[in-house]
Amino acid sequence: MPLAFLKSGETGVVKGVNGRDDTKRFLESLGFVAGAPVSVISELSGNMILSVKDTRIALDRGMARRIMV
Amino acid sequence: MEITIALAGNPNSGKTTLFNALTGSSQRVGNWPGVTVDKKVGKLKKYKDVAVIDLPGVYSLSPYTLEEVVSRDFLINEKPDAVINLVDGTNIERNLFLTTQLLDVGIPVVVALNMMDAVKKAGDRIDTEKLSGLLGCPVAEISALRGDGLSDLARIAVETAQAQSKTTKSAEASLAAAPAVSGGRFSEPTETALRALAELIRAYTSPETRRWYAIKLFERDEKALALLGLPATVAAEAEGLIALCEETLDDSSESIITGEAYVYVSRITDACVEKVQVEMSASDKIDAIVTNRWLGIPVFVAAMFVVYFVSVTTVGTFVTDFTNDMVIGGGIQAPLAEFLLSVGTAEWLTGLVVDGIVGGVGAVVGFLPQLLILFFFLAILEDCGYMARVAFLMDRVFRKFGLSGKSFIPLLIGTGCGVPGIMAARTIEQRRDRRMTIITTTFMPCGAKLPMIALIAGALLQNAWWVAPSAYFLGFASVVVTGVMLKKTKPFAGDPAPFVMELPPYHFPTASNIGHSMLERASAFAKKAATVYTLASILVWFASSFGFDGDGAFGMAQDLNSSVLYYIGNSFAWIFSPLGFGDWQPAVASVMGLAAKEDVVAVFGILTSIGDADAAFSLAETADMAALAPVAALFSGPLAAYAFLAFNLLCAPCFAAMNTIRQEMRNPRWTLAAIGYECGFAYVVALLIYQFGCFFGGRGFTAGTAAACVLLAALLFLMFRPAPKYKKEHPHAASHS
Repeated sequence: MPLAFLKSGETGVVKGVNGRDDTKRFLESLGFVAGAPVSVISELSGNMILSVKDTRIALDRGMARRIMV
Repeated sequence: MEITIALAGNPNSGKTTLFNALTGSSQRVGNWPGVTVDKKVGKLKKYKDVAVIDLPGVYSLSPYTLEEVVSRDFLINEKPDAVINLVDGTNIERNLFLTTQLLDVGIPVVVALNMMDAVKKAGDRIDTEKLSGLLGCPVAEISALRGDGLSDLARIAVETAQAQSKTTKSAEASLAAAPAVSGGRFSEPTETALRALAELIRAYTSPETRRWYAIKLFERDEKALALLGLPATVAAEAEGLIALCEETLDDSSESIITGEAYVYVSRITDACVEKVQVEMSASDKIDAIVTNRWLGIPVFVAAMFVVYFVSVTTVGTFVTDFTNDMVIGGGIQAPLAEFLLSVGTAEWLTGLVVDGIVGGVGAVVGFLPQLLILFFFLAILEDCGYMARVAFLMDRVFRKFGLSGKSFIPLLIGTGCGVPGIMAARTIEQRRDRRMTIITTTFMPCGAKLPMIALIAGALLQNAWWVAPSAYFLGFASVVVTGVMLKKTKPFAGDPAPFVMELPPYHFPTASNIGHSMLERASAFAKKAATVYTLASILVWFASSFGFDGDGAFGMAQDLNSSVLYYIGNSFAWIFSPLGFGDWQPAVASVMGLAAKEDVVAVFGILTSIGDADAAFSLAETADMAALAPVAALFSGPLAAYAFLAFNLLCAPCFAAMNTIRQEMRNPRWTLAAIGYECGFAYVVALLIYQFGCFFGGRGFTAGTAAACVLLAALLFLMFRPAPKYKKEHPHAASHS
């Protein structure tokens, strides 16, 4: 399911990033690669702060929908 | 022979702090990703002929943002002798991902493991020796912030670079014998494909860069391949190899490379890093409050209130008044005039010095303490890590009028100075969003506009508390209106860029960073005072003190109304008549404001102190209406003064900021469009304020009111018309300039 469905405090494992473009490549270089554990630190009207690979990444809702967990 | 060493690493990994420590310079640092937007060059301390280049932070070498392009182009085209790869030890896995790519570029890499103090404090352990062995490059432990391990790092980097330049020569001598590729980082099918690709491009690449180009070819990276210029037959053969591997591994080639690189990195970190598991870090706890759904916005509003209200109205004014009162007003002008006259200085020269230079420059210098307090608060905001959270908070809001949260950082920095504000727009990936941010950044009242706000508020508006906040509100409203309006025009149509941003851990602002930032501001201000303000003051003084008398003879003017400036000012003052300040003095002040916004105040300082030799003008008591009566006399009333303020807040910024717009737009037409739009918008806003103010003030319906109605209707139409459909631009074409 899309990462956007996770709630604050929940954890998942990345399966992959949808699409084929610069954004996908960028998300992957930030650590959203298959197998990476990811957890939701906080959520603000769809935008999310995520913990992945020991860093905190802020994403908008559109991005969070493209990451599958 | 000169050696070049590049600093590369993730955004916000401390490259600029390290650069400043290694070279002894004082480049801007901040705690959010993307502070360094262009490469910076310095000389390594204690070594001769070693140049250090600070590259903007990147997550990978696949160009996604402008900074990544700058970093990558430098590494590939300029080929530095060595790269110091700064790795944030507290976040080693993600940082090592870039390391794997740097190792493939073919330039010797030295890994500098930064923030080791924080790593040790957290109780984590990193086996540096093992790491060095696994990566196949030297690894040095440092703390750039505290200066630990820097001399060792410098020595290792220089040695590595020197060793490199020797081997390059021998490699050139025996080019044919060089091994095709090194390493075995990826899975077997990928490595097989890479070896075959490297063989294919053997004739087009040098041995050091062959593996890099093989990987880029595998990823179908068009920008990198354009440099190679492979013939169609080779490209077709390569495509076959890539497609085969993609089928074997059932993924796209880019994802294979990224995914497998991360697998490789986790193998390394599993072997050398021991991490203490923490439930929730201090940063997470702070974030739970400041990015909270309910508390986020109130916390932000409170923070802004502290920054601006305190620096603009309370502490700032107190210190500023003190300076004006004690130091400049009573302390300098009057005694200086007495002294100069007593030693027999010509009257005109005394006038130039006392009224022109001290009156003009002094009017501005008095505001320095207030500016420094503002910059102090902004430096804390930039340093502690809150800036990136603000971008996150504002993203939802900004998205409603077509900008992403990233546009908020330039606006916030722009309240200090427009120049770094405009430059901060570079972190915005999408070109149209970046352009819109550049255009709107200087709507926010910068530090240089504060004296003007204080002067107008003090002279004509009884120092009303709402004047300064209204200036910020006006600036922000102009950004919103512009965003909504321009989003419906063709060059700006389309969704704002996706918001992706790393949030750095919070840290206590360091005294040295804040000191640096304030010192830099103070020295920039001093430089401007010594050059631009002084020159402009002299110019204005001469032009206002000399003129043609009744017989047409040139000489010291009897009064301002026969001065040269009077004639110059009057030649264009009519332009401002519809805005309520069509007299020549405010018109001249507006134009001089283009040199530096502080000059607006300087011009008033000179023009009013000439007329009245005894009561040398000073902003000593901005609260005292009587002292500022000469300034008040230049305007027809508070309404005209506020329209003047609005126009000067929003119109084209100073030359320095306009030049930055030119550099960042990289296109003369866009530069002109940006500045033209700002002036036009300022004119319309000031006109609406003045004309509607007059109408509701009971002056009846005039031609001006009619014009204002038409303009308001046009503005509302442009804001609320349905967005026209434009053909969708190719997303890739829009993302890079």
